Amino acid sequence: MIGNIRKLLAASLTLLAALALVLSAAAPAMAQGKTLTVRFYDDPAGFDPANIFRIENENIAFNIFSGLTSYDGVTGEIVPDLATSWETPDNKTWTFKLREGVKFQKDYGDFTAADVIYSFNRIKDPATASPYAAELAGIVSMEAPDPYTVIIELDAPNGNFLHTVANYHQGQIVSQKAIEEAGDQVRWQPIGTGPYYLDSIDVSSQIVLKRHEGYYKGPAPIETIVFNIIKDEATATIALRNGEVDLLMRANQEENLTTLEAEGFTMNAVKDYAVVIGVLNPEFEPFANPLVRKAMAYAVDYASITQAISPSLTQPYYSMLMPWMSVYTDDIPKYEYDPEKAKALLVEAGYPDGFTFKNLGTSAQGVTELQQFQIDYLSQVGINMEMELVDTPTFNQRRNAGEFDMASRLLPAVNPDMILFSFLHPANMVPNGLNGARYDNPEVTALLESARAEPDKDKAFEMYKKVQQIVAEDAVYLPAYSNNVYWPGKPEVTGVHINYLAQVNFYDVDITQ
Amino acid sequence: MAEYAAKKLAQMLVTVLGVVTLVFFTLRLIPGDAASAMAGDTLSGEALQALRQQMGLDEPLVQQYLGFLRNLAMVDLGETITTRIPIAELLLRALPITLSIALATIVVSVVLSIPLGTLAAYMAHKGRNWLDNGLTGAAMIIDLMPSFWTALVLLLVFSLGLGWFPASGQLNWSDPWALVLRLALPVIVLSLSQVATLARITRTAVLEVLNEDYVRTARSLGWSELRVLFRHALKNAALPIATVVGLSFGNLLGGTVIVEFIFTIPGVGNLLIAGINSRDYQLVQTLIVLYALLFVVINFATDLIYKTLDPRVQF
Repeated sequence: MIGNIRKLLAASLTLLAALALVLSAAAPAMAQGKTLTVRFYDDPAGFDPANIFRIENENIAFNIFSGLTSYDGVTGEIVPDLATSWETPDNKTWTFKLREGVKFQKDYGDFTAADVIYSFNRIKDPATASPYAAELAGIVSMEAPDPYTVIIELDAPNGNFLHTVANYHQGQIVSQKAIEEAGDQVRWQPIGTGPYYLDSIDVSSQIVLKRHEGYYKGPAPIETIVFNIIKDEATATIALRNGEVDLLMRANQEENLTTLEAEGFTMNAVKDYAVVIGVLNPEFEPFANPLVRKAMAYAVDYASITQAISPSLTQPYYSMLMPWMSVYTDDIPKYEYDPEKAKALLVEAGYPDGFTFKNLGTSAQGVTELQQFQIDYLSQVGINMEMELVDTPTFNQRRNAGEFDMASRLLPAVNPDMILFSFLHPANMVPNGLNGARYDNPEVTALLESARAEPDKDKAFEMYKKVQQIVAEDAVYLPAYSNNVYWPGKPEVTGVHINYLAQVNFYDVDITQ
Repeated sequence: MAEYAAKKLAQMLVTVLGVVTLVFFTLRLIPGDAASAMAGDTLSGEALQALRQQMGLDEPLVQQYLGFLRNLAMVDLGETITTRIPIAELLLRALPITLSIALATIVVSVVLSIPLGTLAAYMAHKGRNWLDNGLTGAAMIIDLMPSFWTALVLLLVFSLGLGWFPASGQLNWSDPWALVLRLALPVIVLSLSQVATLARITRTAVLEVLNEDYVRTARSLGWSELRVLFRHALKNAALPIATVVGLSFGNLLGGTVIVEFIFTIPGVGNLLIAGINSRDYQLVQTLIVLYALLFVVINFATDLIYKTLDPRVQF
């Protein structure tokens, strides 16, 4: 019996060894050139511009595709990409001059005006069922008088159209041939004109990008970028400290950031990436009263809270728009911590004894530290905040439907016009859009519509400024804090500029010795 | 025997069909769907509806159910809703990983726990309780440590501190030594609690048997203590141990979720969690059916092992 087992063991070991030999002989030789290993924090969900979600997937697509315009990684400004220049007399007719000599990856040919028209029509086509179709719905016609000119006609003036055609979602230019060949696998076979192409992917462990040698700005400094999926942040931090990865895509736990910074890793970051706001539902009676909303804002000391929880990742914030946006104004009422004022406002509003409301949250996050502080601060002015925790999809569904007393939202967008329209225009009222405050102020609506149509930048700015002032005065939404995004990396990894979409253009990244 | 197998097979089919139906409908009772899970902060209204339609979530429920059953019957596992990847392909990659870890864990824990448990029982039987008490105490403590905590501590000590094992990285099947290093920590974490449980079960089972008449008879025949212990006592105590090992194996195939998450191992648990988080009905229900099948088969196999271990067992 024992002898049999021994024989079996020996035989299987020999077999294993033989197998290992064969497999290792078959393994391809290591590629030449620089390789960057990056932590990716979730399973990828595909890179089809028509159907792409979540920052990590968008970041891959950002490097594979190009748009007519793009965002500067440092300043956040709109810069030329596939379009070299553009003009518009009235924000309605847009003429783009296209870059010549741009090549699609993997020999899918030259980029021309026809690709622009195909890409935008594909998003608009109901058969594509793209959730971003509405972004391009304003396009009435597209023409290409020559292969390197596109004239786009809109149904109404839109001063922010350059955002719409940027290298993001609907703005990313695809190749008709590649799309048709990929069939229903477009999300896994993306072909663009960007600095990197998708070389291989194992959806549960690894994504490999290779540089596009024919990229119009010349080949990128790094030849291969390997994204290793490491979901747990503690593990990712250890992997960076062990040297198993060179760069962490997103690290958002204060203690990990502190450790890494102390050990000399480079703390690549973008400050004021987006603001988190409280959305108050006026169908819950107290929240219909602006005095109550102001009292809520005065009651909580976000300066102390952010300092206590995560000083690197958050700071108190008072506006719906970010300071780097072109139409941002600082000239608005700010509700800094003042509990006495909050109490007085509650009395004036007819709630001297306060009231009880429910804050919608996810069971995945539980009652966050922030919410614990909120509960405490609000209770000091007599407002009783209860948490209603549901699972994440339920949370998303109820928040989209507007079924809550209070919920919070992160506003990640680079287009200020889109933020204001989505959150303040009555056409976007829940469940049709993001206007969870059910805000319907004819003055604001009119201002928003005229600002979008106004070709004169200064005049448009005045209108956007007025909107920001009215909305802050009405305390329609309650900005709480803005957050920062970190990509800690080894010191020798340079050029990690996180843009305001929280993305990194890997064309700028290099490894120096 | 054949009659028994046939009867058992029929029972297995009914069980699996019940699980399929239950899972299919309860999954859809949970609010939220793949579209809203995917869109998160970004979409609402018509855009969300477009996504839902594209994912085929607007088809009537009964039609979806019958389609699922038909495909199962034809061993067609379908595609994930959100990412359009054939589920068979995902499983083919994930299953060998989870199986290897489960098998390694079972081997490690059986090799360690059975001698330990037997020894503890023997010492207790002889009235020397220190080893027994120590072992039971240690087993209790290990059993109570949550695996996510043990995992992190091991990572900090053996990966970051001593640099013996990597914390992340691809599973490289062509380099067996690298693979062993990569999987060592997860196997250790999983084995710890298995060893604790198994050693306790072994101890109890062996201790019980040691008081039986046949053990006394064996001793009186003058056989060595070792022979008595392992040939007579342990063999008769094997039934409860086999049951626990079988169940543990089943649990390991499904219960390595946390360990897979922390050690970034793309196994079946990882797939299941990803499926649940993204409300990918197709993926989740397929995996659950697979688990149901596995458990049923393992139970069946345990039954058969009973028969081999103890010929007195009647079916």
